[in-house]
Amino acid sequence: MANIIEIKNITKEFKVLNRREGLIGSFKDLFSRNYKTVRAVDNISMTVGQGEIVGYLGPNGAGKSTTIKMMTGVLEPTSGEILVGGNVPYKNRTKNAQEIGVVFGQRSQLWWALPLIESFKILRDIYQIPEQNYKSMLELYQSLVDIEPLLHKPVRQMSLGQRTLSDILAAFLHDPKIVFLDEPTIGLDVSMKSKIRTLIHALNKEKNTTVILTTHDMGDVDALCRRIVIIDKGKMLYDNDIEHLKGFFGSYRTLKIRVDGDLKEQSGVIQGELPDMKVSADDEWISVLVDEDKAKVIDVLGQIQKSRSVRDMKLEEISTEEVIRKIYEEGVK
Amino acid sequence: MKRKSLRFYFRIYRKILAQDIKSKMSYRADFIISTIGMIFTNVAGFISFWILFRRFPSINGWSYHEMLFLYGFSLVSLTPVQCLFDNNWSLRQYVYTGDFIKYCFRPINLFFYFQSEVFDIKGLGQFAFGIGTLVYSWNKIGLDFTPLILLKVIVFLITASLIMIALQNAAAATCFWIQNSFYVLDLVYRFRDYAKYPITIFNPVFKFIFTFVIPIAFIAYYPSLVILRPDDIPLLSWLSPLFGLVFFWLSYKFWMHGALKYNGTGS
Repeated sequence: MANIIEIKNITKEFKVLNRREGLIGSFKDLFSRNYKTVRAVDNISMTVGQGEIVGYLGPNGAGKSTTIKMMTGVLEPTSGEILVGGNVPYKNRTKNAQEIGVVFGQRSQLWWALPLIESFKILRDIYQIPEQNYKSMLELYQSLVDIEPLLHKPVRQMSLGQRTLSDILAAFLHDPKIVFLDEPTIGLDVSMKSKIRTLIHALNKEKNTTVILTTHDMGDVDALCRRIVIIDKGKMLYDNDIEHLKGFFGSYRTLKIRVDGDLKEQSGVIQGELPDMKVSADDEWISVLVDEDKAKVIDVLGQIQKSRSVRDMKLEEISTEEVIRKIYEEGVK
Repeated sequence: MKRKSLRFYFRIYRKILAQDIKSKMSYRADFIISTIGMIFTNVAGFISFWILFRRFPSINGWSYHEMLFLYGFSLVSLTPVQCLFDNNWSLRQYVYTGDFIKYCFRPINLFFYFQSEVFDIKGLGQFAFGIGTLVYSWNKIGLDFTPLILLKVIVFLITASLIMIALQNAAAATCFWIQNSFYVLDLVYRFRDYAKYPITIFNPVFKFIFTFVIPIAFIAYYPSLVILRPDDIPLLSWLSPLFGLVFFWLSYKFWMHGALKYNGTGS
């Protein structure tokens, strides 16, 4: 698999004005400016193969957008090398633009007043898409989504979901090698989210387009990405398969049980019986966090049942969301 | 990839324009109201001009009809900036909210792509009004009508337009550096009102400013001299087409410089 994106040790620094507080401070800022350097992206390296879908995750302000902007050519890295489809993006922005598609969840790039089909026609001319390819792309779209009601509707009259859908279709229209999707499902309802995930998945399969997906919705990640990259404070925290991620903190599962008596009190007793595990209680359940490398869930349940009867139980896998949250909060050990 | 030709850009522009006008016409009330508004603006502008000249039949050796010529000339030369570059007024907003980034991802010229998005149809009414005024004053002054003089008028109209566009581009582009660029843009917009008057009526300081700093004297005054005062044409008049091209090119470079250093807001 050829690498479509190659990033080697890129760093991006911004100069930020150190603002003083209050009115007098602002006045002082007028005359003596005090800059500090902020490292938004710190020595990140990665390669992405053609046809991969990569989930690019990180808390707000982690440096995701900055990285995307460097890959799309809007920003020049302070240091390091970056190659997208063989181009250096910031040096050859126009050429790079021909090879990529970009969607920002909340910012439509379509012509506001025009019906979608007219936007498509203008894009066909701008990207100089051969007639044959254009037609087959429209046919593909028709087979994937119910595009007919969208085509003749001005973008400004569309719902957010329809607009996002249209933006994604427009981004794939010139058959780019890479599509960057920045929070494509933000603010959408459940059914629209799933529609959009299906569409992205299908387009990736059909056209072997590389997709770089930033999102805060773990549903997107679970549905689409096999590989995820996590950054925080500009530093790379994780770059691997999603299965690998779940085993990252040991193979934890949560055993939830309900017993007679006060749950809070009981959980204290159980904690005493199982000193190696974390036991907690809420209004409905007692939760026991079981590290499966150390003990089997069934044995733990057996041990609990020795001294009391369990009325109800359920078992919870640790979700991607929880793992990611743990990484954000605790970092990688 | 080969550089995109001028023909390529013309074709794209024509398509966007056709679609834009089509969609504007579909909002009928909006279209009618803005047309009426445009007519009133022009009529009001003309009336204030007329009242002024009832009091002063000539200003500094410029007769009423010559002044009318200047007025018509400036209206026509303001048309391109009004019609084709109106999106400059929204630039500040796009930059401030971060929406400007959407223009950065297309494989075409950024300046072109941004400006092509809006065509202000109201400018056409101003154009018609300006042409009417120009023809009327032309007759009254008793100017000849030869191919050469027509050519001169056209060349100098283009010159004047280029300068106006350059001023607006430069003013709008300041928003890439400063927050409140509206005042800069507004200032230039207000100054262009002075373009209607012969520069000789201002004192030497303003004369200098309007020639070399904010070159509005090139919008109507210097070009009109070629037509109206053929015996005594200052060098600056002949140089104004060159000035127009240079100013336009500089403003384009300035605009692009700002746009390329733009890096958006967080999301």
